[in-house]
Formats: sequence, structure tokens, C-alpha cells
Amino acid sequence: MSTVTLTINNVRVAVEAGTTILKAAQKAGVHIPTLCYLEGINEIGACRICVVEVEGARNLVASCVAPVAEGMVVRTNTPRVRAARRFNVELLLSNHQVDCPACVRNLNCELQTLAQALGVRQVRFEGQQSRYPVDTSTPAIVRDPNKCILCRRCVAVCEKVQGVKAIAPLERGFHTVIAPAFQEELINVPCVECGQCTLVCPTGALYEKDYTGEVWAALADPGKFVVVQTAPATRVSIGQEFGYPPGAINTGQMVAALRRLGFDRVFDTDFTADLTIMEEGSEFIERFTKGERLPLLTSCSPGWIKFVEHFYPEFIPNLSTCKSPQQMFGAVAKTYYAQKAGIDPARMVVVSIMPCTAKKFECQRPEMRDSGYQDVDYVLTTRELARMIKEAGIEFPALPEEEYDDPLGESTGAGVIFGATGGVMEAALRTAYELVTGKTLPSLDFHEVRGLAGIKEATVDLDGARVRVAVAHSLGHARRLLERVKAGEQYHFIEVMCCPGGCIGGGGQPIPTDAEIRAQRIAGIYTADERMVLRKSHENPSVQALYREFLEKPLGEKSHHLLHTHYTPRGKY
Amino acid sequence: MEFYRAHVLICAGTGCTASESQATKEALVRELAAWGLEREVQVVDTGCFGFCRFGPNMMIYPEGTFYCTVRPEDVPELVEEHLVKGRVVERLLYKQPETEAAVSSFEEIPFFKHQLRIALRNCGVINPEAIEEYIARDGYLALGKVLTEMKPAEVIETIKKAGLRGRGGGGFPTGLKWEFAHRAPGPVKYIVCNADEGDPGAFMDRSILEGDPHAVLEGMAIAGYAIGAGQGYIYVRAEYPIAVHRLKIAIAQAREKGLLGKNIFNSGFDFDLDLRLGAGAFVCGEETALLISVEGRRGEPRPRPPFPAVSGLWGKPTVINNVETLANVPTIIRNGWEWFAAIGTEKSKGTKVFALAGKINNNGLVEVPMGTSLGQIIYDVGGGIPGGKKFKAAQTGGPSGGCIPAEHLNVPIDYDSLTSLGTIMGSGGLIIMDEDTCMVDLAKFFLDFVKDESCGKCTPCRIGTTRMLEVLERISMGQGQEGDLELLIEMGQQIKDTALCGLGQTAPNPVLSTIRYFREEYEAHIRDKRCPASVCAALFHSPCQNTCPANVDVPIYVDLIRQRRFAEAYEVIRRENPFPVICGRVCHHPCEGKCNRAKLDQAVAIRNLKRFAADYALSLNGQRPKPQVAPPTGKKVAVIGAGPAGLTAAYYLALKGHPVTVFEALPVAGGMMAVGIPAYRLPKEVLAAEIATITELGVEIRLSCALGRDFTLAGLQSQGYQAFFLAVGAHRDLKLGIPGEDLAGVYSGVAFLRDLNLGRPADVRGKSVVVIGGGNVAMDAARSAKRLGAQEVHIVYRRAKEDMPAIREEIHEAEQEGIKITCLAAPVALLGDNGRVKALKCNWVRLGEFDNSGRRRPIPIEGSKFIVPADVVIAAVGQTVERDGLPAELKVNRAGTIAADEKSLATNLAGIFAGGDCVSGPDTVIGAIAAGKKVAAAIDRYLGGDGKVVPEAAVERKRTAPVIEEKTARLIAAPLEMAERLQSFTEVERGYAEEQAVAEAARCLRCDVRE
Repeated sequence: MSTVTLTINNVRVAVEAGTTILKAAQKAGVHIPTLCYLEGINEIGACRICVVEVEGARNLVASCVAPVAEGMVVRTNTPRVRAARRFNVELLLSNHQVDCPACVRNLNCELQTLAQALGVRQVRFEGQQSRYPVDTSTPAIVRDPNKCILCRRCVAVCEKVQGVKAIAPLERGFHTVIAPAFQEELINVPCVECGQCTLVCPTGALYEKDYTGEVWAALADPGKFVVVQTAPATRVSIGQEFGYPPGAINTGQMVAALRRLGFDRVFDTDFTADLTIMEEGSEFIERFTKGERLPLLTSCSPGWIKFVEHFYPEFIPNLSTCKSPQQMFGAVAKTYYAQKAGIDPARMVVVSIMPCTAKKFECQRPEMRDSGYQDVDYVLTTRELARMIKEAGIEFPALPEEEYDDPLGESTGAGVIFGATGGVMEAALRTAYELVTGKTLPSLDFHEVRGLAGIKEATVDLDGARVRVAVAHSLGHARRLLERVKAGEQYHFIEVMCCPGGCIGGGGQPIPTDAEIRAQRIAGIYTADERMVLRKSHENPSVQALYREFLEKPLGEKSHHLLHTHYTPRGKY
Repeated sequence: MEFYRAHVLICAGTGCTASESQATKEALVRELAAWGLEREVQVVDTGCFGFCRFGPNMMIYPEGTFYCTVRPEDVPELVEEHLVKGRVVERLLYKQPETEAAVSSFEEIPFFKHQLRIALRNCGVINPEAIEEYIARDGYLALGKVLTEMKPAEVIETIKKAGLRGRGGGGFPTGLKWEFAHRAPGPVKYIVCNADEGDPGAFMDRSILEGDPHAVLEGMAIAGYAIGAGQGYIYVRAEYPIAVHRLKIAIAQAREKGLLGKNIFNSGFDFDLDLRLGAGAFVCGEETALLISVEGRRGEPRPRPPFPAVSGLWGKPTVINNVETLANVPTIIRNGWEWFAAIGTEKSKGTKVFALAGKINNNGLVEVPMGTSLGQIIYDVGGGIPGGKKFKAAQTGGPSGGCIPAEHLNVPIDYDSLTSLGTIMGSGGLIIMDEDTCMVDLAKFFLDFVKDESCGKCTPCRIGTTRMLEVLERISMGQGQEGDLELLIEMGQQIKDTALCGLGQTAPNPVLSTIRYFREEYEAHIRDKRCPASVCAALFHSPCQNTCPANVDVPIYVDLIRQRRFAEAYEVIRRENPFPVICGRVCHHPCEGKCNRAKLDQAVAIRNLKRFAADYALSLNGQRPKPQVAPPTGKKVAVIGAGPAGLTAAYYLALKGHPVTVFEALPVAGGMMAVGIPAYRLPKEVLAAEIATITELGVEIRLSCALGRDFTLAGLQSQGYQAFFLAVGAHRDLKLGIPGEDLAGVYSGVAFLRDLNLGRPADVRGKSVVVIGGGNVAMDAARSAKRLGAQEVHIVYRRAKEDMPAIREEIHEAEQEGIKITCLAAPVALLGDNGRVKALKCNWVRLGEFDNSGRRRPIPIEGSKFIVPADVVIAAVGQTVERDGLPAELKVNRAGTIAADEKSLATNLAGIFAGGDCVSGPDTVIGAIAAGKKVAAAIDRYLGGDGKVVPEAAVERKRTAPVIEEKTARLIAAPLEMAERLQSFTEVERGYAEEQAVAEAARCLRCDVRE
């Protein structure tokens, strides 16, 4: 690549040809505000906030999409530029439902921040406002077009990262609205409810459906016995809401906070992650041995499951019949644990703390009632939990580290790594290897399946049997991988996590969640794994007890009844 | 092959199809069959002649006779006369609007005479559905030449040298664009024809596609060869079904003939074409949005770079050219770049096609050389403005462009000149606006259009255009605020500066350009809550009232007349105008020019109705209703001048209780109404009776009492006068400024009329009288001279007749009375004999460039002198203020008029106000009345009053009878017989009889009632 030299605010910068002015400015240490820009995903120059003056250009130039040129003279902070940016923010505010104090994104809103930073002190334009009904049709995502500023990041994520295309710009001009086709409700279109859109939305136009009210009510009800489970990925992200760096491991404080919120028992989804490995590992060995319905596709990620049901129903037989760890937990809690603890399951409320919005959908699936009740009652995202902690006035950083309750709080490192892309595969391999070969793994770390590469492949030698595995995260990569399979590529076992980076990048995680933060959370996950005494699911004593006391054996009749499920083709429309 | 002795070409373009040309065609085919002529006369569908206003258009060969507006019912006569008997059917020919002379040849019709057709060369000439006809007109010759004799680089060089620029609006050099794509690496490239024409009122591309589709195909193939593209797409609106149909036929025919497809002309060059139908989004005319739409996605622009020439359709190098650009290409190749580059201006070569629309006589499609002036297009080609209305502005470039006001009619139409005026060439929509257009409303219209067509991607265009429109709407609703214009300008500039694509970057142009040229019209809306053009409905009750300078509530009094409540009608008029009797006779009635009834049949005869009500009140002999007078204030006011302005002020000040004395230099009261207007228009007793209605309120008029001679303002002040109104009029005549003006027998118009009205008429009996000028004074002088027994009266005017400032009726009456009018003649000298004038020497003039008023400047034609014999010459070329006697310290304008503040009418001297002709220059009676009223309010405020001089009245606006919706002719009150007229100064006009008045009043549409 050739190098181009340009001047930004009188500073000479040399960058690669083809670089945008925005990136060149970053290199020169010059901050240019952006709004619609999402690196590598949404580079469309729509909001016109990042405009700069380029000498010789008639109009201002959108720096996020304009490539540099040799000798270019750029000014990013002139009266003309500042006035233009303010004008466009003012316009956006003039068609925005400005109810900041009551907005879910108050103090974490890019529009708000931008208006502050650019010194917008008044909105001179009164007039028409585009008003659309708020879409609360799904159990997971709320779509409020009245707060939408049409940056289209959500559209780009949905289309380019997830390959779903549930939403798109409709209508034209002032009436443009981001919505499902024909302004249908989200529930009626193949939205997988992954919530990636809520992560990239700069305002309060897309957010998780809030169940904190229901949970507060359950906690306040003396007749209820409220147990909570926390997903692997939440422990490395909750801290971000309280000033910790991304990836900080705050497991103990989270447990303490949940106790203080009033949960009767605090359990760990990692426990059922281990259980999942027992079931799914056994399922894999069975299918691999028989050569049936391969590749086996993992089934922990509800967004991924819904994706297959909508777009690749032909792969439904390949999906593992195992429920996700969250749902296994619900089923076990309301049967095994209720029995063991002598609690009437009818008055037990199971709450999940999840990094995921699709889990809200999953817990309401009609298949998920094998305990005789809805197995999991409410799913709260990491963000909702943080809000409850703040609302309760709990000083999170001041909390002591506490332990999970027994027995459903005991887990292994294999359970923790479920939170990152490749983690399920790695956990499964740790167990499958030992179950098949009867030998102890020389090294527990399967590095080939770790990391942020979109599709990862590996071949594992199970005592002479070569197992070809693949891992994909984000549905866009999943789609590519499935197309490879359809084209004849042979795999035995495929892990798919719906969200980029796996659950640590889930749609319910703290905002912002970007590539760098994902990497930091993944690092947190593997650190947590390393710190564990037990790192293989089949070594989890509580899991062993569960089989001994209740389930008998993996893929046994009770397991089949409580821990496995089936899927339904949903069609595209 | 069959031979026919005649061919009838009938337009099958969209315009004529909308005028039902197909019905005419079917009638023609039937009629020919009935005569057994179907083997002798061939009927051919052809493309647009451009004369759409007069559709269906038809051309008969071999004679080349051009017929207009041929309806099916005209066909039998046409066939029998023209095709059987060989006689031209005169009534179906085009008629010159002024002379009514029929023109049979295409080339002699002014509309066609000034055109040069390159892009449209085959439209109206060939059958667009027959490739053979295109080939017979040298079609595909250029493609053959290019493929067999030229290298791609040579083709590009030819187009570059020709200077062809993009006709879609941007004006980017076509050759350069091709060169970029030619140089872009890669084996796959595309050529795309932009046929997404979407400007309101524009149909240039449509007509080319409908009339000559092969020209576009050939242009694309040549472009494809030049850049190395093997595939082209024509992106055409689905709303152009005829164009789509003919393109499909053309592509199929070209493929069949091997002119598209593999190995064209055995050259090894493969090229094929497909259509892509657009769904009608305006933004898809933007090249990047168009490409995305061709790819099948939501048509939205993307940022450039990369430009399509580098990365276009499916990421491949792509050239996008407009239909008209491509249609020029084959002819450039055939005729050579030198030929093309010789047409047009330095930087804009060739011709441009325009769709003439709006308030213009010849609506239609025209192609003129670049550099033709806007005025030539409007007047020479377009035939001027209908209904004798004034040209106000032209909008070029559609909603992306801007307006050009009358002062720029001389602008040569080329890319750069238009840009310098703040507008753009655009694709060629040319919308003409007349005085009835409100520029705020116009800006609103275009902004509303772009607002709706915004794709919604970028912030400034999506929200900004709506916010701008809201401000405009507010202004047009009378809710404009100070600062709105600045806000609009700021928003406009920000949107231009930051929008993503051309649509947004140009969207504010109509607003910015109308503010630039018509700021005072915006200010009228914002400050005075007034829409001068009577368009913004929230700002007025009815156009007639809104147009009346004195704000007379026309629909109310007209309705009272209809109800036979004549005295009340008089009261309504007199509330706003103390001279109903006079205005009922001499007002130039701008109200009638705005009457909505004219759109249905004819304007309501408002002036005559006023006259009827006023005469009725007069006939009550003092029993008429009298206004309420306020208790005396004791604050004395002096009015200098007893003309309409002075007397009006006196009237309203008297109503407010101020004692008023009017000082008049002449021995009669009435000003120009007394000494300017002849008695046959305004009888002396009528004038006197109306003035009496003012003196009876206690107003004292002192005659023959001249300022400076008989009294001074300082003197009056010492007598206790507290406020002064200078209303001295404009009684000093302007000179011709040519030799011989001091000869005996040479009069000025005002002096001639004054002498006549004061009872000492000049002796013109049996003489030849020549009047110079075209205003009302000229008409009055001429008609008076005729009555005084002149043998011959001749009016000489230096401009065109339609430029005459006189009231149309006056010109008409003058001509009826046998007065000869010679226009386009400029006086050069007065020739005398023994000190007496004998003749007027004139020069013929031609009309040159347009002046600031939008009229053409007369330019003497060298060596064209001619002599008009004359015993008496009356120069009526304008008046100015007589300044003798005015206080020396009084500030005057450059034009010699008194300087008075526009709003308060105060002069630079305390307590001294001025108004009427001495401030405005020679104006109308109603103008003077309006000024007098305004001054009365100002003086009342000055004296401590509230300034509300017009008594308040509750007005109920509701219909008292059903509106007559059928066409109903305006009732004419029979004037005095011609024989009687010229014998005396008896009044010519006769008012309505009661039944006539009631019937005429019933024609009012009651536009003031909003239900």
C-alpha cells in the first residue's frame, strides 16, 4: 500500500492510501465526533456529524467515509464545522422524543453526550415529529421508533453481522422508519431476538424488554421462593456498569449483590453448563459412533436456534436436542432441587441473569415447561441486574465476595468458558476426550477454537478417531458455515454462538460492547477458567450427585424428559 | 414496398396522447378507408413535435403542412379538403396570436423558427417504432463509423473536443467521464442511461425516448465501445409506459438487425442492452441511488468517492449518462466535433432541450442553442405570457434549481451563467411564473416536493427540509416571525453544506433563490401578513380585496348589490374609499385582474358594480348614508393639494375629529381627477358631487392657493396647524429631449389636458395631431384631441403595444375611435416650418435586450427613419413633481420625488408628511387614495390618536345565494354610440341598469367564504 501525506488541523499525518479522514485524524490524535459510524459495519455517512472542512471541496465532507488524498488539507474544528454539527444535532433532537430523565439510556446515550459535547443549548425547530407505535410484541426487544435517529447501525448489525435482515429503513424522507417489512411487529418476522441491535443503538430506540418489575414483585412476595442463576458471561461484564474495566471478574460481588437484593438462593448456570456437557457430549459420542445426523450443532444459544428454525430448517435434525444450560437449570431447580430442599415448585420462582435478550424468548417457549411449570420464570439481562442493584442503593464495589449456594452453584472451568465463543466446543472436547479415550487430557486448552476469528476449525484426535470441528460466532458467520456444510464440507461437531464473541458479546450486556471490550471479557473468561480447581464438567461433584440421586445417567429417561427438547421450523414470513 | 402519395404524421407522444391524438388517428384511418384512400395515404405515428399546448399535432407530407389541435370531428373536413382536394384547411393551422394570421409551414411558426433540433432531430419526423425510418435518417451510421474506423480513445477524444456536457443537470464533461471509465481497470464495465426524469413539469427525456429511441440506443452502444462496456442498462421510470414500450421495440429491432448483440458490424464488439424500470423515486435520478436501484435494492445515494466511473454497478466501472446526452452522441460522431463545438457558447456547446411549462403561451418542448437568452426562449419561442400578465420569474433546474427574475431575462442559457445567478441548468425543466405567482408559495411547492422525495438517509435532508417547510408554512399562514428569513437562510446553507447527495445539497435552492430575488415579498408575508400575489389563502379574504390598494371589501359589497341592498353596498365601499363614484368610473381595477371567475369565464365587472352602487347613493340626493364623525379634537391639519391623496386624508382626518384645511394651487379641486382626466371619462358634475361629500364633513378647501406663492408652512404653523400633508402630485411634464421641442404646436400631455379641463382647450380642429407616449395621459390626450375636432390623431410609441402602460380598455377604445397607433417607433426630432411644428421624425426600432422591468429595450434601426406629418404634437412621456414652492430643506429622491418613510410617510421635517404622486411618481387614483389613507392614519397617530381611521365593521362571510357554477358571460353596460362620442365630451361609459347590476353581482364566486 502506498502512503499518503495530509494535513489535519495543521498537523502533518502520513497514512495508508484509502484510509478515511476519520481514521487519519485518530492517528493524528484529533477526535472527530461520530454518530452513525460503526467501524467496519456501518460506514455510510448518514448522520453528517463527522463533517470536516477539506480545502477545495465545495461542501463539508463526511470524514467517516471520505478517503484521504495526497496533500489534502483538513480542518476539523472551524466555526463552519462546529455550526454544521450543531445544526444536525439540533435537527435530530427536533424529531426525537426527548424524555431523557425517564429514558432507559439516560446518561448512556450517544445523542445526549453529543449534544452536550457540541454545546447544543437550544432546539430552534418546533414542528412535526414522526410518531410510531412502540413495538413490544416480542418478549425480548422493545423497538421505540420515536427515539430512533435513523443512524442505521441496528440495520447494519442485523444484516451484515447477523445476516438476519429483520429490520430495514421503510418509507422515505421525514417518514423514514427503521422497522420490519411492512411495519409488521417484530414478533411476526424472523427476528431472532439476539439484541445485537440494542447494543449498537446510540439512543433508547432499541432496548431489552424489562422484567425487573416482575422480579421485584416476586422478591417482595413472602409466599415465593426465588432462586436465581447467573450465566457464565455475566460475571465478566457486570463490573463495567460499576466502573470496573471490561473483563473484570466480579463473580463474588455479583453473588453478594443478588443476596442483598433478596434472592433466596443464588445458583450458577455454570452448573448446568457442566450438565449440558454431560448430555451433549454423550449425544455427540452416540451420533459420532453411529455416524448419524452429523455434524452435531450445539444448541445453547437461543438466537441461533431461532435462526435455524427460520432460515435453515433443514438443519433442525442436526441440532443437539439438549436444552440450553439456562433451561436445564430451570427444569432441575423445579424438580430435583425443589424435592431436595422440600419446596413446593409451585411457589418457586426461577430468575436468570443472562447476557442475552434471546433467553427471554427462550424461557417462554412452550417446550420449556417440563418441570410441570414454566421452568424459568424471568430472564434479566446484565443491564437489568445492574439497574436493580443501583435502584436498591447497593454499593457494588464495596461488596464482599460471596460464594454461590449449593448444590446448583458448584461448577467447573468448563462451565465458565461457555461464555465465550469456542467455549462449548472446548468444554465438550475436554469431557468427550476423556469419556471416549479413558485417558486424561495432556493439555486442557484447545487454542484452535478460541479467539475472535469468525469461523474456527480444528481436527481432534479421539484415540485414532479424527473429529473435525468448527466454531462460528455471529449468525453471519454461522450462515457462511452452514452454506459450507451444504456445499459438502464435512464436519462432525459445530458450535455456534449467536452473538459476536459468544455470550460475552450478548445483546443483554452492558453498553458499550465493542470488539475490544469483547476481547477483554473473553480474556476474563479464560482467566476464570484457569483459576478453577475443576475444569472438566464430568468432574463436577454436584453434577455427579445429580446423576446419582436423580437423573441416573446421561441420555437416560429422566434426562430425556427434563433436559432435552425439540425444534419447530418457523419459516421466513 | 408500397408507395403512398401522402403521409400523415400524427404525434403519438405522451403530450398529444393525453390530448387524445389516438382518437384523431383512428378517425383518420376510418375516414381514409371511407374515401378508399388507405393505399394512397399512410398514417404514421411519430414522436413529439414539442408544440404540446396545441395537441394533437399533425404534419402532412409531402407539402409539410402543420396542423394543430386536430380533433376527430375535424378529420372529415381535413381528409376531404386537404387529402382529396388538395386545399389547406386554414382553420386548423397555427395562428399568430396577435395578427391571427394562419401559418401553414412548420418553419415559419415562431415556436419552431428559433429552435435548433439535434437531440430532437427525429422527433416528429420518423415513426419511432420503425428502425428502418431511423436508419433512413442516417441512424446507426455513427455506430458503424465508430466500430469500423475509430479506436475507443478517438471516440472519447471526439466527444471531449465537441464539448458535450451532461444534460442531466450537472454539466460534467461527457468525454472526460468516458475517459475515466475507459482507464479504469477490469474487463467488465457498464454503461447506464439515466432516464429517471422526475422534475415537475419536465419531459425532455420522455419525448426523446418516445420519439427517437434508437438515437439513445446508438449513443449507448458508442459509449459502450468507447469505455469498453459490453452491457448497458436503461433505467427508465415505469410511469413512462409509452417510452418503455418503444424502447422494448427498439431494442428487439436493433438486436434483430445485428446492431446490438454479438460482433456488431463484424467488428468483434459485443454490446447488449436491458431495461430496468424505476418505481418513480425522484432520488433514483441521483447516480449512486440509481445504480443501487438497478441492483435491486432500496434506491438511496451513497457517498462518493468512489465515483461510478471507478466503482459503479456491482462494483464495476460504470458510466451514467442522461438520455439527452446520449441522443446527442450519434450526431456529433456523424457531423464531427467541429460542427458541434461551433454551436453554443464558449463553455456550453450544442443545444439544450427545455420543457416549457407554467404561465407561458406555448407550453411544450423546445431545443435551442446554448446561449439563447431566457427572454428569447420565453417570448420568441414560448410566445410570452398568457392573458397579458407580467412575467415574474422562471424556475430552471426544477426543485434543485432556482428562479430567475425579470431583471435577468437577458441571461444566456448556459451552465455557467445560470450558476452565477444561483440556479442551475438542471435537466431542462423551465417553469414560467407570472405576476399571479407567490414566490413564498412557489418555494413551498418545490420544498414540499423534495421533502417528500428525500430518501431519508442523511439528517439534514431528512429533517432539515421538513423544518424549512414548516417555517415556510408558518410564513404563508401569517404566523411568520422576525428572524424567519435569517433562519431559513441558515438552514438552507447548512443543508447545502452537509447533505449527502445532490438532492439534499440542492433542496434549499428554491427557497434561497426566491429569498435572494424576492425578499420584499417574504417580508410582506412576515411583517404585513400580506400575500401580494393573492395566493396564500390564510392572508386574505378574497383576491380582489387583497389586490385593491385601498383594501375595499369587494365580495361583501358585490353580494349586497345582489341582495339589492345598494345603499349598504355604498357604505361598505366608502368605508375604505371616499371616492366610489369616481373609482367606479376611472379606476384601473387591478381587482378584476385577479378575479377567480376569469378562470371559469370572465372576471366579474367589479368597477361597474361599484359605479352602480355609488351612483345609486348619489341619486339619493343627500339621503345617502353618512359616516360617523368623532368629536372635535381641535388639532388643525393642513393638507397641501386637493387631489385624491389629499382629499382622502382630509376625509379620514375629519372623521377622527381633526379640523382640516385643504390648500389647492389650481382654481378647481380634484387634482389630476379634475385637470388630468377628461370629462368623457369623468364628468365634472360627478367629480364635484363626490368632493362635496367630503366638504360636508367640515373640510375646508381653499382654491387657487399655492404653497410658496400664497402661503408657507411656517406661516400655517404660526396659525396653529399642527400637522401637514404634502400631496402636491406630479404635474410637471417630462421633456422628450429631442430637437424642435420648443416649436409652436408642441404641447405636453399634462398641460394639454389641464388647459382642456380648465376650459381653454388648445385649438386642434381639423389638424393632424400626433401624440407621443403609451400611457393613460397619451390615451386621454389623443381621445380628447379627437373630440376637439382633430382631423387625424396618431399615437406613436417606442415599445411594443403590449408594453404600453395605459389601461387595456383605454387603448382599445382609442383604436375604436379611429386613433392610429404606431408602435416600435422612436421620435428623433420635431421638424418645423416658420417656428411651427410640421412633422415628427421617427426611427423604427427593434426590440433588443430586456431591461430591469422585464420589457425589451427599443433599439433604433439604422437608416429606418420615417416622417409623420403633424400640426400638433403632444408629448405624453411622463410627469414629475413640481418642486417650486416646496420647503428647501425637504429631502427629495434622485427621481425628483419627495422622500418619505415607507411605513410612516413622514418626511425629514417634523410634522410634515407626504404621499400620493409626489412621493410615488405618477400613479393611479386608487394608489393615491391608499396613500392618503395611510397618511391620515400616520397623522392621527402623530396627533395622539390611535391611527385607526377606518371605522371597524363586523363582516359576516357567508353565502347568501348559491354560486353560479355554469359559464356565464360578463354583462356589458352599453357605452355611448360611436357617432355621439366624438361630437362632445359626454361620458362614454354608461352604468348598469338595476337588473343588470344585480345579475352581474350574482356572478361573484364569493372566494371570501371559506366553508
